[in-house]
Amino acid sequence: MPHNILIVDDEPNIVVPLQFLMEQKGYAVRVATSGEEAVAAAAEQPPDLVLLDIMLPGIDGFETCQRIRDLAGGDSIRILFLTAMGQDMDMAKGLSLGADDYIVKPFSNADVVARARRLLT
Amino acid sequence: MIPKNKFWWFAGVSIGLTGLFISILTVFFWRQLTPDEERLLIDLFKHHFAYIFIAIFLLLTGFVFALDGIFHNYIIPVSRLAEEVRVIHSVNPSHRVKTEGSRDISRLAAIINEGAEAFEALRKNIGQKIQAARADSEEEKNLLASFMSELPEGVLICNADGRILFYNKQARNFLGPDGQAGGGDPSSRFIGLGRSIFSVIDENLILHALDEIAEKFARQERNVAAYFAVVAPDGRLLRAETVPILNRDQPDQVGGFILILYDITDSIETERRLDYLLQTLLRRIRASLAGIRSGIEAIVEYPDMAPEKRSHLQRIIHEEALRLGGVANETAAEYERHMRMHWPVVAMPVADLFETIRRKAEEKLKLNLRLKPMKEPCWTKVDSYAIILSVLYVLDHLSRETGHRSFECRFEKKPRYVQIDISWEGRSLSIETLRRWEAQPLLLENEGIGLSLREVMAHHDAQIWCAACEGAEKRPSLRFFLPLVSKDCGPSQPSMRIRPDSRPEFFDFDLFNQPGQTPELDQRPLKELTYTVFDTETTGLSPETDEIISIGAVRIVNGRLLRRESFDQLVDPLREVPYESVKIHGIQPEMLKNKPAIHKVLPLFAKFAEETVLVGHNVAFDMRMFQVKEALAGTRFINPVLDTLLLSAVVHPAQRKHTLESIAERLGIRIIGRHTALGDAICAGEVFLRLLPLLEKAGIRTLREAVAASRKTYYARLKY
Repeated sequence: MPHNILIVDDEPNIVVPLQFLMEQKGYAVRVATSGEEAVAAAAEQPPDLVLLDIMLPGIDGFETCQRIRDLAGGDSIRILFLTAMGQDMDMAKGLSLGADDYIVKPFSNADVVARARRLLT
Repeated sequence: MIPKNKFWWFAGVSIGLTGLFISILTVFFWRQLTPDEERLLIDLFKHHFAYIFIAIFLLLTGFVFALDGIFHNYIIPVSRLAEEVRVIHSVNPSHRVKTEGSRDISRLAAIINEGAEAFEALRKNIGQKIQAARADSEEEKNLLASFMSELPEGVLICNADGRILFYNKQARNFLGPDGQAGGGDPSSRFIGLGRSIFSVIDENLILHALDEIAEKFARQERNVAAYFAVVAPDGRLLRAETVPILNRDQPDQVGGFILILYDITDSIETERRLDYLLQTLLRRIRASLAGIRSGIEAIVEYPDMAPEKRSHLQRIIHEEALRLGGVANETAAEYERHMRMHWPVVAMPVADLFETIRRKAEEKLKLNLRLKPMKEPCWTKVDSYAIILSVLYVLDHLSRETGHRSFECRFEKKPRYVQIDISWEGRSLSIETLRRWEAQPLLLENEGIGLSLREVMAHHDAQIWCAACEGAEKRPSLRFFLPLVSKDCGPSQPSMRIRPDSRPEFFDFDLFNQPGQTPELDQRPLKELTYTVFDTETTGLSPETDEIISIGAVRIVNGRLLRRESFDQLVDPLREVPYESVKIHGIQPEMLKNKPAIHKVLPLFAKFAEETVLVGHNVAFDMRMFQVKEALAGTRFINPVLDTLLLSAVVHPAQRKHTLESIAERLGIRIIGRHTALGDAICAGEVFLRLLPLLEKAGIRTLREAVAASRKTYYARLKY
């Protein structure tokens, strides 16, 4: 049974290559374009890993992270922040809210895959 | 003692003494008589009682008249002379004694006046010499003070107790309500000489800065200044630099401090905007690069992916590359807009700008620019260096292109801009040539700025165009359009035209040695106290039924009347203003509409007068007016009070008149603007300052002595 990954980003030009990459690596990928959509998708079927953007329309990545963690079984979901902000304070905030790791855009595909793999093993 | 009382006292004593003398003589005479002689005399007395009584009565009446004559022709004029001579040699050398009284007294008065003439001339002469000797140092001092007053930073100098010894215009703009009562806000704060800095800046902030300075001293650091931020009443953010002033005698002790205030509101806003711009730029670049990098890496890693997928990824890469270009352009435009806002432009007359251009064209390019006179003056706002360089650059290119070395320059003022035509004879310039010049960086010999002519023009909202000059002969020309600004914002604030004689009243370094004002004001010398001289205008003379319609006040600090630190507020009496009172004060009822009512103004005035001695002329009336309103206004005047009317009566008991006008005239003060509250307050203040040396000569030096002497005077018995 492949691991289930949820990509949350409102920017299709980032989602498309990322989705392609993860599918090629054998993961089952779902996509959400807003925080609310991501929380609903996670509630419906908890993913193994969430690739979560911070700047999202509506609730931002930080709040989305917190809401996913609050779901039943949310603690076992791995969360990897994808951030274009790249400021130490944002990363510190993300990690304190319960993110497992973060990666700053622009990232290399190999890096994302390596981190995803590490979190899923 | 007033003259009338003095006369009766004098008459009583004289008659008493004469009676006593006659009685003693009569007793001695009676004792030497034989019984027969005594009997004879008693019989004679009884027989001729009527004649003897009339003779004694006439004698006594004659005696009283003689006394009156002596008193009014010799005694009173002599005491007046004494008072007036003191005025001449202490406060008003121009004063001349009146030649009233007997012939002898008139002669004496004439001789005193001759002496006064000589004394005045001598004093003038000495004064001139002293003035000449002081002029240089005074000019330097004034120049420094004027320079300080024009600085863009707020500067305050305080003694160790936090009393303000100096402040400049900018400090007052930053921290105070300009010494004027605005809308009657009781929380308003006043900046003034001798006032405490702690009433405008939180004491803890300053004490913390002073502690920090002490620590830096202890560590023997070179830069001992301390910094803190403070919010101005209008919300501006100020950065305060605290610099200690060391005691001259004890260099390890802080004798005071200088506060330098910088308005950092704009620079903080600028930094915030630039930071936002940078953050947005980074975020957008990172997002686009993420798409590009991820797409390229997928294509490289999976060369045999489906063709639709590959073309989708290629499209994403292309889109993101285009988006990056857009981000760069938008950021550059935003940055340029920002820089244009902060381009240092100053308002200046167009004529001055082009006069400089004409001179520089002649010096640097050996070109002749003939300026046609402007019909009316107009102002523009430019970075003069960039604009001058631009016009010189154009003239240089024009000269090379046309071969001319002489150009004519005409100005025409339009509603929002000024049109400047630089014309020549011969063929006109093609628009393409101008476009080429516009695109090139501005370079002239070894001078230049890293911008093109087009950019400089755009920065200034200016334009340049090829045109044919209007007029009898259609000469080809280059036309500049520069935006106009109104003349009001012409000379930029602050004006840097410093005149040494335009000395502001914002400093008083003698206050350095003044201790903090505490309740033991009573024992303090009058010269050292801080006073608020005030006056009110009212709807009438009854404190119970009439209302205050104006309060005016000025401060006296260290013996100087500070006209700039004034309080001038009209008050809505919330009732009709009788026509009879309008005739006196000239305040029309319309002028009082929408002015604050007394319950709002009184607390503000109390704040203005805080920690000072109140002074006024016939002040009992004004104080009674205040008292009636104290409960309504929720304020109490606990200040000590001095009255110039009573003080004048103290120093000049022999003078008949103690109105403000007559005292002012006696003391040589020119009266301007009387019968406005502020005008009368200023006049009373000047009178008070002239009374101080006279009081000192009469042995009245402290506040307690002045109050006690006032109380004794006759006029103190008047109650309102």
